[in-house]
Amino acid sequence: MKINGPFVEKILTAFIKEELSKFNFKKGILGLSGGLDSSVCAILASKALKPNNVISLILPYGEAFSEDVKDAKEFAQFLGIKSKIVDISPMVDAYFSRYPTESRIAKGNKMARERMSILYDFSAREKALILGTSNKTELLLGYGTIHGDIACGINPLGDLYKTQLKQLAKHLGVPEKIRKKTPSAGLWVGQTDEKEIGLSYDEIDKILFQLVDRRMPKKEIIASGFKKEALEKIISLIKNSEFKRKLPPIPKISARTVGHDFLFPYDWDK
Amino acid sequence: MKVALAQISSHLGDVRKNFDLHLQYIQKAKKKNADLLIFPELSLTGYTLKDLVEEVALSPDTNPLFDELKARSHDISLVIGFVEEKERGLFYNSAAFLSEGKILHVHRKVFLPTYGMFEEGKFFAQGKNFHTFSTACGNTGMMICRDFLNYGACYLLFAGGSDIIIVISAAPGRGIQAKEAYETNRMWELMGETISRFSTSFLVYCNRVGFEDGKHFAGGSFIYNPMGQLMAKASYLDKELLLQEINLDDIREVRKKWPYKRDDRPEIILEALKRIIRNYED
Repeated sequence: MKINGPFVEKILTAFIKEELSKFNFKKGILGLSGGLDSSVCAILASKALKPNNVISLILPYGEAFSEDVKDAKEFAQFLGIKSKIVDISPMVDAYFSRYPTESRIAKGNKMARERMSILYDFSAREKALILGTSNKTELLLGYGTIHGDIACGINPLGDLYKTQLKQLAKHLGVPEKIRKKTPSAGLWVGQTDEKEIGLSYDEIDKILFQLVDRRMPKKEIIASGFKKEALEKIISLIKNSEFKRKLPPIPKISARTVGHDFLFPYDWDK
Repeated sequence: MKVALAQISSHLGDVRKNFDLHLQYIQKAKKKNADLLIFPELSLTGYTLKDLVEEVALSPDTNPLFDELKARSHDISLVIGFVEEKERGLFYNSAAFLSEGKILHVHRKVFLPTYGMFEEGKFFAQGKNFHTFSTACGNTGMMICRDFLNYGACYLLFAGGSDIIIVISAAPGRGIQAKEAYETNRMWELMGETISRFSTSFLVYCNRVGFEDGKHFAGGSFIYNPMGQLMAKASYLDKELLLQEINLDDIREVRKKWPYKRDDRPEIILEALKRIIRNYED
């Protein structure tokens, strides 16, 4: 699971640069939360595109997570990238005052989609491509909001596990304060990923690596020292979130159908 | 003899743009007095073509861009990767060897990877031969990417008498690790070392760089001498024109010490293969 920081940095910055140029973008835009993943993405983008071509949107819900907002702002300043704070509470509150809910998850999802909606609006205003910040652990577990934080133009971090991102963050010089934060999707105050999933990222990533990258049989993973329950939980999370990693199915009734046999590359003529 | 490898990044689906890129590299290589310039797999079209295959397919005998490439092959031999429409409606992942204004040979990829991230078998017809042909650069054999990972294919070029085995590739990197390379970079180098050493011939591998649909082509083009020693290697990430002087007399020298070629018995291999095939038909 150990990565070579300089090598991965070169690959990912080259990817960001090349993808933007293929799609005729000069600028990249991303949501900056003050956490590890978006900080790594921001630093990669600023290296790939030059800081003045990177726009970071800090999208807090009112005064919640004010410490993270401060960290995000400071980090944007440190990188020399543009930053803008847009408070999402007026839009989110307006909606929930008409359709109230007690569900923290429903509120969290709505907030994630509000942020997505603002990012896409600013992406069009600024002619900037949205850089995603979902890591491989989150994508595999479905630990993200569909059409929310998962939505993006390109996702430079999508093939790095959380623990590998930590290694990359250290290599890139992300401040210790950000690197040492307890990972949280920021759905509500006090929420942490590990508490919610019930396993540590360290354990999750080791299991995922054996299951996904190494394609090891379940029996062997358990034999290598992991609990059956943890493994089953992870497998069930993966299975139940496949819909977040795919375009929705279309019933095939014509001779040639989008998503079935109308097969063109993403980088078509680029 | 000077060999040049064009470790380029092709534009996906844009033959005209790639043709211009080829001309640039031909000019560069000529300036460096190269005798042979090799481009990667599908260099004229890009790799992840899917349904674009039929749109970018051409016939090298009648295509005007190929006529221009042929015209430029008088003082430098060229290896070009392209989509070939050989029979109407059949498309091959092909490599052409151009020299003295002519096409000396076209190799059509035999082993089309169709598993995991690869889907060549969905879009291409399968080639049927591994042929050694005579050129100003010595007896030459060509393979395309996955062909090279089949040691039976390598053996056919050895048995056919290739002095120089040319592999063109569009190999995506897979498997990050603590080292500054993909795990798959080592796979190609291992094969390069092994085949050059045990075929006692030159092994030239030209891969590409750049991204297509998130796939990262992992460069690392190389040349091994007939002793299995690395002579030159390009970066894993960057575009590059890799140049290396080679001397075909090295083959003679090494075969005095290691007579694998002299001692080869293709007729025994052939009969044994026939028996194996007969058995699994039963």
